[in-house]
Amino acid sequence: MPGGMELKNEVLASSTCALCGACLDWCPYIANIEDHLVLRFDCNVPDGRCYAVCPRTFADWQAISKKYLPDAPENIEIGPYFKAYKVKAPIGIEGQQDGGTVSHLVKTLMEDQLAETVLLTGSDDHITPEPFLSSEISEIKKAAGSRFLASPGMRKLIEAQARNVKKFAVVGRPCQIQALRKLDYNRKPDTPAMDVISIGLFCMWSLGWDFKNYLQREFPGEEILSIAIPQHGFEVTTDKGIHEVPFEEVKKFIRKGCDYCLDMTSELADISVGAFEAEKGWNTVLIRSKKGQELFDKSVSRGFLIFEEYPEAELERLKGASIGKKMRGLSAAQEAFDRGVKPFVDLNSEMYTNVKKLAEGKVE
Amino acid sequence: MSRELVKDPLNIIICGVGGQGNILATELLASALVEKGYYATVGETYGASQRGGSVMSHVRISASTEYGVLIPLGQADIIVSFEPTDTLRVARDYANKSTLILTDSRPNYPLGVLIGEASYPSMDAIVAELEKLSGQVQVIEATNLAVEAGNSQAANILLMGALTALPSVPIDVADYNKVLEQRFSGKALELNLKVFKIGYEQIKQ
Amino acid sequence: MEWMIIANEPGKTYLMQGNEAIARGALEAGIRFAAAYPGSPSSEILAMLGHVAEKADIYAEWSTNETCALEACLGASFAKVRSLCIMKQNGVLTVGDALHSASLSGVRGGLVLVVADDPSAHSSTNEFDSRHQARAAAVPMLEPVNMQEAKDMVKWGYELSEQLQQLVMVRTVTRINHGRSSVTLGELPQEKPSPAVIGEWDRMVAINWFKDAQIAKLAQAQEIFEDSPFNWYKGPEDPDMIIVTCGTGWLYSSEAVESLGLKDTVGILKIGTTWPLPEKFIVKHLVKTKKVLVVEEVDPFLEQNIANIIAYHPELNIELSGRQGQKAIPRNGELNPDIVLNALTNLTGKTFARPETVVIPQEEAVALPPRELTFCAGCPHRASFFLLKQTLRIHEGQGVVMGDIGCYTMGGQRAGHFLYGFLCCMGGGINAAEGLGNLSRFGFDQPVVALAGDSTFFHSCLPGLVNAKYHDSNMLFVILDNSATAMTGFQPHPGIGLTAMGKAAEPVSIQKVVEAIGCQVTVADPFDIDGTTNTVYNLIKQPGLKVLILKQECATLAVRKREKPRVWVDQDLCRGDDCGCGRFCSRVWGCPGNIWDYEAGKAKIDEVVCVGCGVCATLCPAGAIKMEGGKADE
Ligand SMILES: Cc1cc2nc3c(=O)[nH]c(=O)nc-3n(C[C@H](O)[C@H](O)[C@H](O)COP(=O)(O)OP(=O)(O)OC[C@H]3O[C@@H](n4cnc5c(N)ncnc54)[C@H](O)[C@@H]3O)c2cc1C
Repeated sequence: MPGGMELKNEVLASSTCALCGACLDWCPYIANIEDHLVLRFDCNVPDGRCYAVCPRTFADWQAISKKYLPDAPENIEIGPYFKAYKVKAPIGIEGQQDGGTVSHLVKTLMEDQLAETVLLTGSDDHITPEPFLSSEISEIKKAAGSRFLASPGMRKLIEAQARNVKKFAVVGRPCQIQALRKLDYNRKPDTPAMDVISIGLFCMWSLGWDFKNYLQREFPGEEILSIAIPQHGFEVTTDKGIHEVPFEEVKKFIRKGCDYCLDMTSELADISVGAFEAEKGWNTVLIRSKKGQELFDKSVSRGFLIFEEYPEAELERLKGASIGKKMRGLSAAQEAFDRGVKPFVDLNSEMYTNVKKLAEGKVE
Repeated sequence: MSRELVKDPLNIIICGVGGQGNILATELLASALVEKGYYATVGETYGASQRGGSVMSHVRISASTEYGVLIPLGQADIIVSFEPTDTLRVARDYANKSTLILTDSRPNYPLGVLIGEASYPSMDAIVAELEKLSGQVQVIEATNLAVEAGNSQAANILLMGALTALPSVPIDVADYNKVLEQRFSGKALELNLKVFKIGYEQIKQ
Repeated sequence: MEWMIIANEPGKTYLMQGNEAIARGALEAGIRFAAAYPGSPSSEILAMLGHVAEKADIYAEWSTNETCALEACLGASFAKVRSLCIMKQNGVLTVGDALHSASLSGVRGGLVLVVADDPSAHSSTNEFDSRHQARAAAVPMLEPVNMQEAKDMVKWGYELSEQLQQLVMVRTVTRINHGRSSVTLGELPQEKPSPAVIGEWDRMVAINWFKDAQIAKLAQAQEIFEDSPFNWYKGPEDPDMIIVTCGTGWLYSSEAVESLGLKDTVGILKIGTTWPLPEKFIVKHLVKTKKVLVVEEVDPFLEQNIANIIAYHPELNIELSGRQGQKAIPRNGELNPDIVLNALTNLTGKTFARPETVVIPQEEAVALPPRELTFCAGCPHRASFFLLKQTLRIHEGQGVVMGDIGCYTMGGQRAGHFLYGFLCCMGGGINAAEGLGNLSRFGFDQPVVALAGDSTFFHSCLPGLVNAKYHDSNMLFVILDNSATAMTGFQPHPGIGLTAMGKAAEPVSIQKVVEAIGCQVTVADPFDIDGTTNTVYNLIKQPGLKVLILKQECATLAVRKREKPRVWVDQDLCRGDDCGCGRFCSRVWGCPGNIWDYEAGKAKIDEVVCVGCGVCATLCPAGAIKMEGGKADE
């Protein structure tokens, strides 16, 4: 397995990095401030953990999927899943993004001791992401709501290992769940395994940190309270009111590394959660593994969550959106490949050939 | 003059790494020689850094005239060195088949070795090459002996003790002790006198 | 040794360093005033004069820069006080205007300017030959061949200076300054004259009106030099060849002539007064031969001036060789006995029986790791360069760094992760950065960083900082404040609070000076790698001029003051050669204290070398480097 210099050339210097953070904090060569992640000094390690864990270096993703999600029926558009639900927490939590489902799944993890420690991402200023490890129910509210600036939260894995956490849970973006799986998949036999349960978020993209400066320029002196992406656009709520930011402007800040992403729905997670686009205040939930099912069931039986059948039309819309993202990602990856960047997926595999075929019929 | 020079000029090189104290050791040696009425000149080569670079002092001793501060290539009679690879570097340029070499064996790793780009040769290989280049090589565990005696920094004076014990060097213990007494007092003097003696005893008469 | 330079033991012979001999010579001449800016290989002279100032009843100062030093001496000279000014070759370039002006105004009290050149640039960025300055400024110059002559010339320089009412330069080279040999002491004056009253119509004014006087002084010097005891000829009356030499060349040439058995055929003409040349004296000897070899340090200065003499004297019929066109001696680099031996062998065909040496063929020779210069163990510059390098990489904006002169010049080499893209002279960094930073109006958006040490800051960065401030250049100016002029041996500077004479002085605060110019200033600790990295990152993101002071005392000084904490490696925690670290401490951090235990395959601390700064303990990703005592012991 290659090392740091290959990571530098194939990922960091090629701007394909997703800023998942999985390579950080173990290795002294890799450094990060804000959304910059670089090799601060050239490394000579030929076989690096960084390369092994990175979601943007090559892996047999289908084999990984089979290994961790063996039971759910395969789905080419949104990854393997048993069931899709429309879900929300009947009693919400302050600051929740959509239906508060994630926060309540986390609460269930803690109450039922399905995990000792959970990786969450909070923020002091409602915009700058700050990943942290938590074992306290009282801390869940610090993480409620989505931080749309990219955050290298997976760095906290090292802290969890150092704390000798046995049962760990991660709430993360698709790239972070990929890293989590890949790390275990490429784990050396002598490193102990962690029992992990993963709650994956849907994610179309995350933003570079310059977006913060942009907001400061646009709305000087205003305190940002939350950011939401309802169907009609991009809403920034501040202490002075709600501002609509033109999507054309927001787009300028999308991280380059997100262009290559082929996974909108956290296809490797035990359970994936996103917005329910058709109705405010609800979530979309995809259950992908038995662990995920168990967590969901416990949440429901505790009364933390209620659910409804998922409307067929919405499912079709979701799949369409996911395929659209895959198509954009594939063409970006192909472009990168053409300029000499080593691809992180097998672009000619049957799966992606099928994606392309499907897209021809489905994407407008 | 108490002793005739076996060779005139007698050329001695004292070398090591910056911070090991060879400039002081050399100055004391040359002072003792001048006190005794010899012409002694010292040339010192060191770069900008206080430590870490190679430092080489040339001492030229004559009973009749003053010599330039640098020794011509291949004309060192004695090489005293605080660092094995520096011993070899200097010997390649300045030793001849009758040169006598006294060297410490303690490595001082240069940056390239610390970085892992270069490797540090074995002491056996160094000594083997030194033997080919010179007349005689004696390894003295100067730093280790100095550490045992109380302070690694005193390795320089310890090696001066060994040097003074060589029959070709026209000063004796009392001469060097006299300059030590001029420069040091108290604990430092005590330690230096002690390590000087230890060094002196390393040479089999 | 200080006691030697004030020992009242005329006739006694001591081993003296060239710099000691120079200080002694000045004291024998009865100087009362000395000023210098430190620069290898000259620094010991003023350091020693400072230490003995009280006993010798003189005043000595480390001036803020060389121009301050020379002009301070001119001030003393105005009151007819004898003064000594000392600098290295770079210094004599920076004082150009002062020197040329002083030569027009002339002096009243004797003024000797000692300039220490550094052939082969052992501890310099160039090997400028300061004799060009003497000639350009029409100032007489002397060049000693050994330590004794260095003392004697400096002493005589004052007589000459007062006789001519002109300053006198004495040019030495590293081998004289840092070499040692026997010096016989002369007498120290019993009484020193007090400053003279400067009358209403007394003048020392540098205006071109005095050009004729300046030329006349030089002519008078030349006349005096014709009979100078510092010039002599040694050799046969009808030599096949004459070596004309000065400085170190004299002893090398004598040894070569002796070794090659050429005493009966080759003569040596030794010149101590190298500007203006004693023309008649030289012609008188050169007519004896048809072949001349010139042996001198650095440039073919003597050689070209002799060529000039030959051009005006048809009676001379000479084949001249030396450094020019590398006819006999390499054009570049320091002299040594072998260069002179080889030149003579080539010119005469004579060889001598060298002792038997063995040359080991390359393939059989032990491979020796090169000994590169690096920062001392615990040096704050290592931390500063480490964090600047990483911050610029993290920022991903291709920051450009402009270096400057001091220990930290090494930051342009491996020791500082090759941080510099630009290096000029003292104060050059900030000035160039000011220019580069002002290109932002044309779209230049790479961060621009200039560095300077604390001593360099005072020496030559103030005008640059005012310039950068006034023109609001887009740049970060980093002052590496290690409270020392470490490179040259810890001379105090205005920020330290100590004078050359060891007296307390009110330190000039760099921070306050910078603030008074109107700059935003941040002070940070380079040993706090993470915190200061963030600070630097945030600074380079801001537009306009920013100033950062990285403050941490020079390790070599700090270790003298406090009990050293113990740093060691817990080898059970050390990740060794495996992935995850790649020997980060020794390979990247690169402190001589962080070594590798080849047997264990783990990191180790060389406790002999380590000064206990503890920075490596904060960098180790496995927490394997431990520290006990000192500040990291929380
Ligand atoms: C960058 C980003 C992009 C997204 N894009 C989409 C999208 O295109 N379509 C869609 O349907 N949903 C998207 N989501 C998910 C959506 O915003 C909600 O997080 C999700 O619907 C869960 O809502 P909730 O009310 O259950 O969350 P809450 O109960 O409010 O919990 C939010 C959880 O998200 C975690 N979190 C917050 N910010 C981050 C971050 N930057 N990185 C990792 N974890 C974080 C917190 O730890 C917290 O546990 C995105 C989320 C993020 C962070």
